[in-house]
Amino acid sequence: MSVKYIPVQWNPNKYVYDAVMLAAVAAFLWFFMFVSPDLLAHDRPITGQIRTARAFGACAFFMLTVILCIGPLARLDARFLPLLYNRRHFGVMAFFIALTHAYAILGWYFSFTPIETYEALLSTNTSFDRVRGFPFEILGLFALLCLGVLALTSHDFWMKFLTPPIWKALHFLIYAAYAAVIGHVALGVLQDGHATGLTVAFGLSGALVIALHLAAVMKDRRAGDPAASIAQDGWEVACHADQVEEGFGKVAVLSTGERVAVFRQEGKLSAISNACSHQNGPLGEGRIIDCLVTCPWHGFQYNVTNGRSPEPFTETVPTYDLRIDGAKVLIRSEPNPPGTYVEPVAATPANKDTV
Amino acid sequence: MSFAATLVLMAEIWVWIGLAISALFLTIGIGRVDEDARGAYVFRPLLVPGIILIWPLVLWRWWIIETGRDDWAKRHQPPRAFHAQAWMVLAVVIPLIFLAALAARQSTELLTPPVLLEAPQ
Repeated sequence: MSVKYIPVQWNPNKYVYDAVMLAAVAAFLWFFMFVSPDLLAHDRPITGQIRTARAFGACAFFMLTVILCIGPLARLDARFLPLLYNRRHFGVMAFFIALTHAYAILGWYFSFTPIETYEALLSTNTSFDRVRGFPFEILGLFALLCLGVLALTSHDFWMKFLTPPIWKALHFLIYAAYAAVIGHVALGVLQDGHATGLTVAFGLSGALVIALHLAAVMKDRRAGDPAASIAQDGWEVACHADQVEEGFGKVAVLSTGERVAVFRQEGKLSAISNACSHQNGPLGEGRIIDCLVTCPWHGFQYNVTNGRSPEPFTETVPTYDLRIDGAKVLIRSEPNPPGTYVEPVAATPANKDTV
Repeated sequence: MSFAATLVLMAEIWVWIGLAISALFLTIGIGRVDEDARGAYVFRPLLVPGIILIWPLVLWRWWIIETGRDDWAKRHQPPRAFHAQAWMVLAVVIPLIFLAALAARQSTELLTPPVLLEAPQ
């Protein structure tokens, strides 16, 4: 959570996360560069420079694969949420690994061209009209640019400045980058018919990413947040009061398309936007700890009665007026400006059978 | 000038404009648009590469905030539906790219074996 911006926000959990990530990257590169040549005993060995470039390229690809698996895994099973916590550092590291790959490739293949290096990269192969011999380098360059935009706009400042929806839309470039990387690899190194192991590994990685995302989509459609029903002018039935457990939230989708999270604290109900102001994480899936709901993604906290983070933090989310009609919890469709206090409403206790 | 040389030149111009905008934004603009950036200077150099890459977006957001057109409600409307649509498309596109590339692969066994040429007499 932010008060004044600092270059990198580290804490003990992030140190552990980053240490494990760095150790895994170092182990992968060491294995690829120093162990695999003797182990595989290639009949057509490659030079050390090419192996180094491929090691960093393969490392970036598998890092990207893991990064893309974390999101759907966390949606499918909450036990994977800790992996989501510091995924940003993972992404920045993947960019620098990919950048090293590009630097090694330029240094080996484009060092002695009579024209400028980048001009040579863009003009050496322009056979865009065929699959065999397609200029796969351009796909790699496009993916690197996308990863660069993602990594270099990963600071919390960017999320607040651009707003989470625009920041997220920008970061959807990761999908285009992954498709481009698949093309870059398949039309590049995998054109070597001897690279059977790499072909299987890359193919399975792509299949895993697709399968996990489709599984997460199906889960969301099967067990997604229920839609609120319109009760009367400007008010909608979000849920029944006995469905909201003490210390937890219940999410409903309003007719405006916005998600509202109804919380019960000390027996009384309050409603705030389901979207955390940090990265639009699902607040309704968070728990109330010390009178504050905690976002399950990155731990941002809000008072559910006024949508404000505790002092000295400045984040706010919109609140919603609510009232009780019998057993029904009615929410006003239009949100209050972020940080507006709404008096909590007393309601019948949660019934465990209907939660 | 070749098309590639033109692209490289355009990229260089883009970077120089981005550098000028980052100097302007990080000294004048950032404190005006974000209270959390006031008095915080150490993190600002970290933003320079990002501003260079997306400076048109930076200028647009700066203008929106300066003119008071920022809509607070939109901050809390995540584009959730896009994930599903994107992966429906990628589930087709990625295997298609992969399989097309493998289908185009040449067998090295079928290539003509290398011949050692005689040195010219």
